[in-house]
Amino acid sequence: MAERRARRWLALCAGAAAAVLLGVHFVGVGFGPFPLEWNIGLRQPIDGFQSWVIGNRSTHPIFILVFGPFSAFVDWGLRAAEDILLWLPWPVSVWLFAVLAWHAANWRITLLTVGGLFFMGLMGLWEQSMQTLALMLVAVSLSLLVSVPLGILAARHAHLQQVLRPILDLMQTMPAFVYLIPVLLFFGVARVPSVVATMIYAIPPGIRLTELGLRQVSPTVVEAARAFGATRRQLLWHVQLPLALPAIMAGVNQTIMMALSIVIIAALIGAGGLGREVLVALQRLQVGRALEAGLAVVMLAIIMDRISGALADQPTDLRAADANSEPSAERPLWQRARIMVPLVAGLLLVACLLAGVQNFPAAVRVPLYQPVDAAVAWMRDNLYRIGDSGWGSGPLSDFITIRMLDPLRALFAHGLAWPVQVALAVCAGAALSGFPLALQAGLGLFAIGLLGMWELAMDTVSQVVVAVVISILMAVPLGIWAARNSLVDALLRPILDTLQTIPSFVFLVPVIMLFNVGRVPGVIASVLYALPPGIRLTTLGLRQVNDEVREAARAFGSSSWQQLTKVELPLALPSILLGINQVIMMVLAMVVISGLVAAPGWGWKR
Amino acid sequence: MSSKGERGAAAGGEPKVVVRNLWKVFGPHAQRVLAAIKSGHAQESVAVEFGHVIAVRDATFSVQPGEIFVIMGLSGSGKSTLVRCISRLIEPTGGYIAVDGAEVTAMDAAQLMQLRRHTMSMVFQHFGLFPHRTVLQNAAYGLEVQGMPLAQREARAREMLELVGLAGWAGSRPQHLSGGMQQRVGLARALAVDPAVLLCDEPFSALDPLIRRDMQDELLRLQQMMHKTILFITHDFLEALKLGDRIAIMKDGRLVQVGTPEEIVSHPAGDYVREFTRDAPRAKVITARSLAQPRAGVDAPAVPASTRLEELLQRMAAGQTQLSVCEDDGTLLGVVDQAAVLRALAGAAPR
Repeated sequence: MAERRARRWLALCAGAAAAVLLGVHFVGVGFGPFPLEWNIGLRQPIDGFQSWVIGNRSTHPIFILVFGPFSAFVDWGLRAAEDILLWLPWPVSVWLFAVLAWHAANWRITLLTVGGLFFMGLMGLWEQSMQTLALMLVAVSLSLLVSVPLGILAARHAHLQQVLRPILDLMQTMPAFVYLIPVLLFFGVARVPSVVATMIYAIPPGIRLTELGLRQVSPTVVEAARAFGATRRQLLWHVQLPLALPAIMAGVNQTIMMALSIVIIAALIGAGGLGREVLVALQRLQVGRALEAGLAVVMLAIIMDRISGALADQPTDLRAADANSEPSAERPLWQRARIMVPLVAGLLLVACLLAGVQNFPAAVRVPLYQPVDAAVAWMRDNLYRIGDSGWGSGPLSDFITIRMLDPLRALFAHGLAWPVQVALAVCAGAALSGFPLALQAGLGLFAIGLLGMWELAMDTVSQVVVAVVISILMAVPLGIWAARNSLVDALLRPILDTLQTIPSFVFLVPVIMLFNVGRVPGVIASVLYALPPGIRLTTLGLRQVNDEVREAARAFGSSSWQQLTKVELPLALPSILLGINQVIMMVLAMVVISGLVAAPGWGWKR
Repeated sequence: MSSKGERGAAAGGEPKVVVRNLWKVFGPHAQRVLAAIKSGHAQESVAVEFGHVIAVRDATFSVQPGEIFVIMGLSGSGKSTLVRCISRLIEPTGGYIAVDGAEVTAMDAAQLMQLRRHTMSMVFQHFGLFPHRTVLQNAAYGLEVQGMPLAQREARAREMLELVGLAGWAGSRPQHLSGGMQQRVGLARALAVDPAVLLCDEPFSALDPLIRRDMQDELLRLQQMMHKTILFITHDFLEALKLGDRIAIMKDGRLVQVGTPEEIVSHPAGDYVREFTRDAPRAKVITARSLAQPRAGVDAPAVPASTRLEELLQRMAAGQTQLSVCEDDGTLLGVVDQAAVLRALAGAAPR
């Protein structure tokens, strides 16, 4: 109670301060933009460090003894993996993948896997896909090599866990762009930094889930093992690890997904494969080609997710039982997997090598890019301004720019004096959460000013506000609709899946085609990117409303609208608010990306 | 308790709730499966094979005004489904339901909403309270959806809270109350709309035994004041005996026996029901009526037919060897002797 009162008091004070400052501002003092001379000049020390690194890269012991050998090792692994995957004739690879999928899951996922691989081949992306796969394999195995032992250690030593937790939080929440540059500095421009960047992103879930799995092992079981005199090592290998295996496999699955999700970003610092394909196509305005490569990434992600997910889902005892039951000698020859799998693979390999088949035949090509490019061109020509109606994406773009973005930017950058905004941020932080958030919000804004980024930040804020408002206005009603109508839900689901898994770069391009360069495509792409979590969390929140409570509302004769507004929405509110939070985070992430793609080549200098 | 028998007996006229040949089949082709089963074309096992569950089979019963009608069955026997079919929270697959002469099974959505708002209300096993509303707002919910103005509905809800002994808790959130208190809120919410029919779906099952007994007494107390028609679901046979004017015993979706507690305890239909009656407090349930053996010309002190076994036992212990049993109008029904009392107490079938 006391805390709440203090919060309210703080919010009130900050609000009053904002009002007073605003009054002072208008009376004539005029704060103007954030004073430039306050810039603390963080840039110089960073630049200095950079030139030191570049100057000492070949001489300083830390590079010769630590980063150098590591780079060489990773590079060697990557080359080896790439060479093997590219040397293997494509039918052999497909066969091996199919067997893996069949063993891990079922015929449906096997079919999906084979279909996905053929898709990559038919798009003419076999080589790039194998390169990306090699990068994945190396990055994921190195990540697991780090994360599983660290997870085990963290589960055993509480203080290590305490040290690790904030570091992991930081690794996961920091945008990849932040560490791309340092990684480049330390590991040089080649394929190694992309592996390292991927690892930074992919290690945390591995550690977390390993630790979680070990901690979840029932204490009674551990006690029983101890009672029988197991050593710590025996306890770990015989009891804890086997029981934690599902969680560890879930960690492997998450590691893979994290790694795949930064494939394209990794391409920015030298990774080849599908990521580079997307980037290059985008820079050449080849939307169709970018979409093909983007879809190939999605396919790869789906295949690896389903297979590793199925492996994680398999109950351990079942696998053991499977291995023991039915001695394979009694089965007919063609059912003996241990013989048939390598046999078929070997025969295929020999046959392909004899026939000279290795890469997927380039002649067999489904030109998906043609209709896509045609559609994009048509949209550009016809939707930008529909007839003389004054409607279309062009006028819409103008409307968003002139009516929403510009006034907001003017308001944030010049209309509201910067001290007013700092006070308002403190006020909002205090009202919403409490003293810590108020402090963070105030100091954060102030720090932006000190870094000399005030003007740019306010430009970003105006875009974020517009994108968030549009996203929420669309996401919440759609989420409600989907929660109440299973047909809508079924229709929305694949669209949302695609929007979420397809690399965000891919849909930025058609948006730019339609809406011209500038800030609007960034806003639209942000909305597209941020819609899925907003819709999903709204739907989820409504679905999670206790059935008996819902039934009670119905039993008392609530109309559909009454049930929604009086019972379901209030109960789903926390989830919806989380959705809005996610929308804001996604929009922020996308603002960085859209700036990146729309940057120099796009004449983004308005 | 004493008023139970009278109400049950006095209930003559039109039944309040009529259920005839009610079926509920869950599954993708419920209607076709039902038709096939009715015409004898399909084995039920076949229906089950194809993902169908027959939750209610051919249930027929009626509930008199002011009666507590208990549907008793173990979990999975279909009793919760049955009670939800009556307000069509679950859509019945076949059959006829009428409340106050109005055919529920023929109602459209708007009529159904009116029925739920004004005629029926429900008490839930896990209370079904709205966690985002105060106790008062919960109790007023039924009135709120009826469209009653704020002041009026809150006054009414306060009255109801007072009735269930929660006058001081109006501003609390339900989740801060104990289980028994939460269900009192559930009762207040249900009674606030002054429903003609109260549906109770295992309302006391989630409560501790002592609290449960309190709540049962509370329900009986309220019932003496309000004379609602109550359909009460339970899996607890003793609860059924204590509350029910009549009891329907349900097994695998079928009503295996419907009768007064005494009829069920003294004449269980089959081994399934007999199993339940083994632990029944016979002395509180069985009356002189069912023990009387016709014998003329015996000179023994007379007791009314509704005298319970426990009282007979006391009389016998006080030295009586025989008692004659009379109806209220004085007609002689027969004689009860020590042997009959002891037999009944031991659980052997009378006569």
